[in-house]
Amino acid sequence: MRWVELQTSLHQAMLAHSPDPALLALLAGPTGERERRLAVYRNNVRHALLNVLEAAFPVSRQLIGEACFTAVGLTFVAQHPPQRPVLYAYGGGFPGFLAAFQPLADLPWLADIARLEWARNEALFAPEAPLLTPTRLAAVPPEQLPGLSIWLHPSVRLLQSRWPIHAIWDAHQPNGGPLDAVDLKHAQSVLVWRLKNAVVQQPLSAGEFVLLTAFAAHRPLAEAAETAAGDDATFDLATALARFLNQEVLAISDQHNGNALGH
Amino acid sequence: MTPTRNRAALPNQAGIGLRHPHLPEFLAASQPVAWLEIHSENYLAPGGPRVAALERLRGDYPLSCHGVGLSLGSAEGLDRAHLARLRALYDRFEPELVSEHLAWSTAPDGTFLADLLPLPYTHETLQVVANNLDLAQEALGRRLLLENPATYLRFSEADWDEADFLAELVHRTGCGLLLDVNNLYVSARNHGTDPVAPLARLPLKAVGEIHIAGHARVVITGSELLIDDHGSAVAEPVWDLLAAALSRTGPKPVLVEWDTDIPTLPVLIAEAERANVYLREINHAMG
Repeated sequence: MRWVELQTSLHQAMLAHSPDPALLALLAGPTGERERRLAVYRNNVRHALLNVLEAAFPVSRQLIGEACFTAVGLTFVAQHPPQRPVLYAYGGGFPGFLAAFQPLADLPWLADIARLEWARNEALFAPEAPLLTPTRLAAVPPEQLPGLSIWLHPSVRLLQSRWPIHAIWDAHQPNGGPLDAVDLKHAQSVLVWRLKNAVVQQPLSAGEFVLLTAFAAHRPLAEAAETAAGDDATFDLATALARFLNQEVLAISDQHNGNALGH
Repeated sequence: MTPTRNRAALPNQAGIGLRHPHLPEFLAASQPVAWLEIHSENYLAPGGPRVAALERLRGDYPLSCHGVGLSLGSAEGLDRAHLARLRALYDRFEPELVSEHLAWSTAPDGTFLADLLPLPYTHETLQVVANNLDLAQEALGRRLLLENPATYLRFSEADWDEADFLAELVHRTGCGLLLDVNNLYVSARNHGTDPVAPLARLPLKAVGEIHIAGHARVVITGSELLIDDHGSAVAEPVWDLLAAALSRTGPKPVLVEWDTDIPTLPVLIAEAERANVYLREINHAMG
């Protein structure tokens, strides 16, 4: 057998339930021993990938329990193994997989919690970018402010859920809020980003969510603020901008070169 | 000719694998460790605290980069995009040494299996690995050290003994050898062979680094198997094998690997200190 064929057969044995007898015939050692030896590799492969999911989705794991997470995780691993040797980027498909996984349909917020955890994972590894500071924004001539487009830091992720995903997530942290205080009828939008090298998250008001979504789409400041105020009567641009500037949510893009925020 | 641009050599002392739980202690204070090794694939992200930490530590410690995902045994050749990612990492951090494994982890359809899987040692696979090594050393602009694997199974078809296979690869490609003493021990025990015997056949002149680590012992249906899990202290027979290896290679950089059930940093440093005792003995013996 050519090596490429043998390699394919080994690959299939790593993710399949039982190895092909034709493959076992190509291994050395006593017959009963071969299957056991192959199983060591199979176990290593499946658990290495499961460990990646466990590290990225700790709250989802708490919500469904370790045994259930192991079962659903190993199912995902077998059906959607990574296609690149870069494991920090493996698991992005897991929230969607959970959403479609019928046996867990009685936890309708589970997939959104997993989306939140994946957003945290992406924020952890996102590129660096120079921050938009209050000083730099203050230096923009007033007449240029309405047309200014503001950028989000590359680590920023915005999530909108019909469930209180921030509260549920927080109740599963070591020093988090009480779980019985979580109101499941309360929809939540959440901002996730990296602040001083650590991933953080905060709930957003409706207006703040609309503002940041407009920034993400590179809408000019005046238009973004107008949309936010139209959606949320309590929205105040000055308050929101001060919050996001001070919390390092906003950035200078390369594309700011040549406009009012240029270097 | 193999490109060589590694700027300096690692010291012939013990180093440790840099693991995420120990980053805060390294960032807070200088640690009594002669050099560090990282798993290259853990530092490929474009940003974030881990890469930032390595950026800070790089100036204070010599560095060895240990790749765990290139899949040199792959029949279909190497992933060019992954080579480019590694090249960018190595150009940024300029490690003193770069190493990979005699194993495969990427299947012919591109699936990454996140483990170091075995290959038969045949004339065909020798050519495959030699071609992949040539391509990798060219694309990375560096000489690679190739690590002997820990294996749990062997294939019925074999043209080469593992030690001879490695010697031939060193001869053909100019790569070096990363001698993993724990792997040597684990494989020998799992296949019922003598762990010391390969030392007579391996290309020891090409050794640029030595690994030691802990292994697990499992007994299933009455027969014992050693698993290379890097999850405990180095076993006594592996220390003995280290001494036997050092007596033949002379002093080399020795790395303590500990990847699962990661201990506190002082425990890891104590393990490195014990390796330094072996290195001092060899220095004395060789005068």
